[in-house]
Amino acid sequence: MADRKTGKDIHKIVEQTLLYDFYGELLTEHQKNIYEDVVLNDMSLSEIAENYEISRQAVSDLMKRIEKLLFGYESKLHLVEKFENAKDKVREIRVEAEVIQDAVGENKDTDRTVLKDRVKRIAEISDSILEDF
Amino acid sequence: MAVKIRLKRMGKKKAPFYRVVVADARSPRDGRFIEEIGTYDPNVEPSAVKIDADAAKKWLNNGAQPTDVVAKLLKDAGIEK
Repeated sequence: MADRKTGKDIHKIVEQTLLYDFYGELLTEHQKNIYEDVVLNDMSLSEIAENYEISRQAVSDLMKRIEKLLFGYESKLHLVEKFENAKDKVREIRVEAEVIQDAVGENKDTDRTVLKDRVKRIAEISDSILEDF
Repeated sequence: MAVKIRLKRMGKKKAPFYRVVVADARSPRDGRFIEEIGTYDPNVEPSAVKIDADAAKKWLNNGAQPTDVVAKLLKDAGIEK
């Protein structure tokens, strides 16, 4: 659950990190510095305010603006969402591939139709990954 | 010297993982830290938290201040002073 005071928790940080990895280059240098300090370096707003000799409120306002920008890009482009989906599907493919490898490795009379189904499933997942883009 | 326990982002683009580090409160940006006491890896299912409980307790008892996020990780890991 998010902290009431700062809204910071590890899941939020991971989400913010991914938004930054995808859209960070669209920010100005100053925005990047502030966002990096909060998200990647885990600094408090007051620490950042002190470093830049601005008010804590100014840092807080900047953060809100940057977040709005990043979420705005995501709501239009969905790059993080597509990336997460692709990652899940790649994970599924790995599972299918492992099943095939185990079956082949056991060197016994593997049911060929089961293997065929697995291979077909891999082809389907692969196609659906490309359709997302 | 004020000492903090913070999270530090590591890992390549789009595959972040985090270190839990003990560092001087004044130098978070230069990347220097005194000791690494744990990691958080969201790239595995489920996410993996590893924290050296003895080291964490030692630093907490010496007055090191965890950030909100780290305090939560420590609490979830059942680590207290």
